[in-house]
Amino acid sequence: MKEPVRRANHPWMVGLSVAAIGAAYFFLLGNSDFPEPGPNLTYDIETYAKLDEVETRYEETGLIVPDLEEPEALAIGPGGRLYVAGLNAVAIFGEDDTEIARFNTNGAAKCIAVAQDGTVFLGFSKHVEVVGKDGAVQAVWPDIDPRAYLTSIAVLEDDVYVADAGNRVVYRFDREGSLLARIGEANPAEDIPGIEVPSPYLDLALNDEGDLWVVNPGQLGLERYRSDGSIVTSWYKPSVVKLEGFSGCCNPTHIAFSNDGKLITSEKGLVRIKVYDVTSGEFEELVAGSKLFPREQSLKDLVVDAGNRILVLDPRKNAIRIFERKEDDHGSTS
Amino acid sequence: MSKTKKFDRRDFFRGTAALAFTGAAWGAVGEKTEGTVWQLDPNKCTQCGRCTTHCVLNPSSVKCMNQFNICGYCDLCFGYLQPGSRARGTGAGDQLCPTAATKRAYIEHPYYEYLIDEDLCIGCAKCVNACLVFGNASFYLQNRQDVCINCNECSIAKACPSDAWSEVPASQPYIYLTGDKSTTI
Repeated sequence: MKEPVRRANHPWMVGLSVAAIGAAYFFLLGNSDFPEPGPNLTYDIETYAKLDEVETRYEETGLIVPDLEEPEALAIGPGGRLYVAGLNAVAIFGEDDTEIARFNTNGAAKCIAVAQDGTVFLGFSKHVEVVGKDGAVQAVWPDIDPRAYLTSIAVLEDDVYVADAGNRVVYRFDREGSLLARIGEANPAEDIPGIEVPSPYLDLALNDEGDLWVVNPGQLGLERYRSDGSIVTSWYKPSVVKLEGFSGCCNPTHIAFSNDGKLITSEKGLVRIKVYDVTSGEFEELVAGSKLFPREQSLKDLVVDAGNRILVLDPRKNAIRIFERKEDDHGSTS
Repeated sequence: MSKTKKFDRRDFFRGTAALAFTGAAWGAVGEKTEGTVWQLDPNKCTQCGRCTTHCVLNPSSVKCMNQFNICGYCDLCFGYLQPGSRARGTGAGDQLCPTAATKRAYIEHPYYEYLIDEDLCIGCAKCVNACLVFGNASFYLQNRQDVCINCNECSIAKACPSDAWSEVPASQPYIYLTGDKSTTI
């Protein structure tokens, strides 16, 4: 006897069911048609970065790669020598950008200054060390306090100025380490707001006339002080939408003076190097725009050497990048 | 002719014992195997905005956080204020956040604390990107485990362009900021 063959009564229903299950799977699980975020949900950095895409009269002309771990700070010493402080050592470079000497240090100096007699002042996180021109440690000053975070140092004759970002103040010491004045400190009783320091960047510089200029990073500008701590003048340039202003929460991060007295600044975030008239605060020109530097970082330090070259310490390259006026622009300084 | 055996009391106890044994074995294995949850690594995040649009939840389970030991408590906070904002105020026109989820509180002149209202935050990362470029990089995104439904295949992870998402042990469900951008005094 033949076995009865079981057949589906409605094969089209089976096909339809399979198709429906497939479609449901595709629409419910397989479809990833999420909307892409529109302009209201994204931050358009490029609009602000493009501000510095302008012609400059400067060009990058060279690179100095110090044989140092974690180079942190730069200074120009007597004879135009370049001092580079890194982890456990300071390297000294001569006229042709080759290393001519070095001495060991104990740790990583955050800032460095060299007096006219060759004495080196190294600012570590919480204290200062004095090193003779022979490389021997002459003095180790005591820790300032647990909150101290030293970021800049400068020497003028018998005075040593030290910027402390942790305590938001600049100290004036004598060369033996005795505290003579506290500069830029907040004083609510006299309605002095003090230097505003939201991040670990607080720089200072002395120009050829011996004027002390201190960055007020939170106010995005500079302040000039007398040696007793009283303020002389100030100017602030906050703007993210204009190249002539300082962008971000706290800029400029580093300053230096050129040989003709111009203020050279560097900024973090959109890293830019610019030239200002220090007295009026007027923007003069761009040296280098943000395309040349890693975004979201700061340069480690900035100096101008005897040849008026702008030297910046790039943290990604662990090297010193050199910027100079283009040859056809020499002599046309405004 | 075979006689069908009845399901008696002995069979019931045997079945119950087998079930208990299986349950105990399952439980023992389950204790050893830790569960995982989805999380994004803020150090890989590129603030593309897809955490807002690609989550199956609306609003997204991804929220902004502020790491206070990195925050500068800036008056001019780019994570809070529109870039061209003249007034450093709390008006809607001055705020960067599309849902006004960032709250500004006065601490002392001239420092302010920034807190995130997570009920309002949609995880778009506008503030994260602005703080990263213009500030101290203290804002970052995290997938809130109390909101996330922990899908088998996370649709944000699938769409993430920087491969920042991964399954992490449920006992350590959050990834905090690290890296050279996060500098603090």
